[in-house]
Amino acid sequence: MLEKLGEVLRKATDKIANAIFLDKNLVNSIIKDLQRALIEADVSIVLVKELSDKIKKSALDERLKGVEKKEHIIKLLHDELTAILGEHKQLELKKGKKEQNRIMLLGLYGAGKTTTTAKLGNYFSKRGNKVALVGLDTHRHAAAEQLQQLAEKHKLPYFIDTKEKNPVKIWKKYGKELKEYNVVLIDTAGRHSFDKSLVNEIKSLDKTIKPTETILVMPADIGQAAKKQSQEFKEILDILGVIITRMDSTAKGGGALTACAETKAPVYFITTGEKINDLEEFNPKSFLSRLLGMGDIETLIEKIKSVTDEGKQKKIQEKIKDGNISLEDVIEQVKSMGSMGGFDKIKSMIPGFSNVEKKIPENLIENQEEKIKKWEHIMKSMTKEERENPELLEKQTSRISRVAQGAGVHNSDVRSLLKQYKLLNDMIQSGSDLDMSQGMSQKQLQKLAKKFGKKMRF
Amino acid sequence: MFKFLKEKIGNWAKKISKEGGKSEKVKELELPQKFEVGKQKFEPDLEKLKDKTFLERIKTKVQRITISEKAFEVYNEELKMLLLENNVALEVAEKVIEELKEEIIGKKLLKKEVESEIKDALKKIIENILIEPFDIMEKIKEKIADQPKEPYVILFMGINGTGKTTTIAKITDFLKKKGFSCVLAASDTFRAAGIEQLKKHGEKIGVKVISQQYGTDPAAVGFDAISYAKKNFINCVLIDTAGRMHTSKNLLKEIEKISKVCKPDLKLFVGESITGNDSIEQAKSFDWAVGIDGIVLTKADVDERGGTALSVGYITKKPILFLGIGQEYNNIEVFDKKKFLKELGL
Repeated sequence: MLEKLGEVLRKATDKIANAIFLDKNLVNSIIKDLQRALIEADVSIVLVKELSDKIKKSALDERLKGVEKKEHIIKLLHDELTAILGEHKQLELKKGKKEQNRIMLLGLYGAGKTTTTAKLGNYFSKRGNKVALVGLDTHRHAAAEQLQQLAEKHKLPYFIDTKEKNPVKIWKKYGKELKEYNVVLIDTAGRHSFDKSLVNEIKSLDKTIKPTETILVMPADIGQAAKKQSQEFKEILDILGVIITRMDSTAKGGGALTACAETKAPVYFITTGEKINDLEEFNPKSFLSRLLGMGDIETLIEKIKSVTDEGKQKKIQEKIKDGNISLEDVIEQVKSMGSMGGFDKIKSMIPGFSNVEKKIPENLIENQEEKIKKWEHIMKSMTKEERENPELLEKQTSRISRVAQGAGVHNSDVRSLLKQYKLLNDMIQSGSDLDMSQGMSQKQLQKLAKKFGKKMRF
Repeated sequence: MFKFLKEKIGNWAKKISKEGGKSEKVKELELPQKFEVGKQKFEPDLEKLKDKTFLERIKTKVQRITISEKAFEVYNEELKMLLLENNVALEVAEKVIEELKEEIIGKKLLKKEVESEIKDALKKIIENILIEPFDIMEKIKEKIADQPKEPYVILFMGINGTGKTTTIAKITDFLKKKGFSCVLAASDTFRAAGIEQLKKHGEKIGVKVISQQYGTDPAAVGFDAISYAKKNFINCVLIDTAGRMHTSKNLLKEIEKISKVCKPDLKLFVGESITGNDSIEQAKSFDWAVGIDGIVLTKADVDERGGTALSVGYITKKPILFLGIGQEYNNIEVFDKKKFLKELGL
């Protein structure tokens, strides 16, 4: 996600930081790189100009002492980028007993409304809400069926009517039943702002439903049209927030993200893949720090929370405190990494990992996921005793051959699992003095990542 | 499409012809003088004025201007911004400007014609970028004449949510109205209700849809549809595939496999005309993975900017065949290069 922009930003800050003297040529070349990268990320041209002018001005005009100046510029760049990404605003649910949250999604055709509705449903239900999905897209063929299939797959209650063509009637039909749910997510048909009949439809829906949140769904690869889109939708309805989809494509998102900031529509979430968990709360600060290769602990922790349920988490935390984990825990952790969207997605959130990552060939990360599958088979071929006490296998190596045969893998595969276990155990023992419940500080994690990065062999 | 650009390119050309061109300074006309002895002063030499070559010399001297590189530098930024604002990808915008620079710098131009010269140069560049689209129907007819028993197979691909399924329905409707029989292959076995969506379109248009369960190999579905077409003497097979991110290697491999198994006669990339710089990455990846033959741009009715057409056309060097311009079946337009240029005001 946005790798190219991140790289340029990193290079730019490095260049500034390493420069002995900031002369005009250097500043100009840095700004040129920056402009290119931002434009290629679809950030609006006007914004790019403003931003580069500001940096240029303070770099060349403001009289500050050498060292301070560099820091000043890096900070300025950081601040300005945070500013164009907009404010951090969370989608807050009304928690009162009789309060119902009605969240309506709208947007252009093919922006990903239906998929996002299901993702949001999953997100809120994992956080202990009673969620219902309502399909009011009566225009696109099989839109209701799509919602139905997604809802069934992830065990979410849904309300659709494949025969009725009037969305308002569908809503009224289910009015009573929906009262039981505290979060109601409403999927609507794709539309653009100059189709009058569709605009009228959404207005009358808005009147009947009285949504507590109206959210615009926008794809990340939308180019310079982003601003106009968000403006026009804002004119039709009072849009409280935006969700940006398809953030997992080559780069970009710049257009959509900055357009929202400009039109004062905060971005609540971004979606980053086809899996149901590929939904992330958007926080401009941590997004930027990820972009700059500084990792993003907050999102990582949030993600871990959304995947593992609380009971399991506590158990593991206790075990970690004792400084001893079993092989099962290793697999459990690795598996939950898989449901967080795979190793590929998490790596950008670990501070310091972006540097290590370059040393790892790409296909090895894919292999890693295959390995995990093998490990599961290996586990199944072990006795309970062995699982809780993997050291047994090392003491009596004939056990390794037995397990390998049973799982249909090579001995080396079993050994690699044991190695991983040892590594993780070591790490936890050395880190058990940390208070995990508070989350780790950026520095602590960076230290660990450094240590871990050296040891980690794929 | 291109509402903004049209107006602005005109303005830009005017501006550069007014200010940017370093016209050779018009000296005050010094008329040939002749000392009139009778009047005791200099008078214009009327005889010499009649001399044709002299007249022509002043005329040309006054009206020719050249645009210097320096002046162009000042204004090219502006043109670049214009193109970028209209969703032309950076790489492509730079290329256009470079070519324009070569075309007009240093040339002696007649002042009156600078504007139209620039426009002509731009037109030529864009004409070169856009490949002349071919006629799908001709291709189908050729194939029928060539191998009467084989259907003409069209494979559709693109990233998620660009409108592949809708486009297939539109093109099927288009072909059906032109008298070709069609069968659809529901090879989007991944997205929820992808199969149902295509089936409903099939019912409405009145063509057969070949489908299997979700999760089956999309290549197999395509293959089935082709066999069905062979048995029933159907002219065209249109294969719908799941939307896939061009960054996902496994999914690109899957489309490669579909392409290998079904051996399509035409591989169409379906892109959105609102996509920004990413459009070139998308088109590149698909072209690299399977080699596309043509492009369909959807949602052309959503935004006036049309830069994506330029970007994708330039990167792939493949023709744009259709534009999707609405929700109805007949909201599809065969891409016409001349009309496109005209809309650009060139």
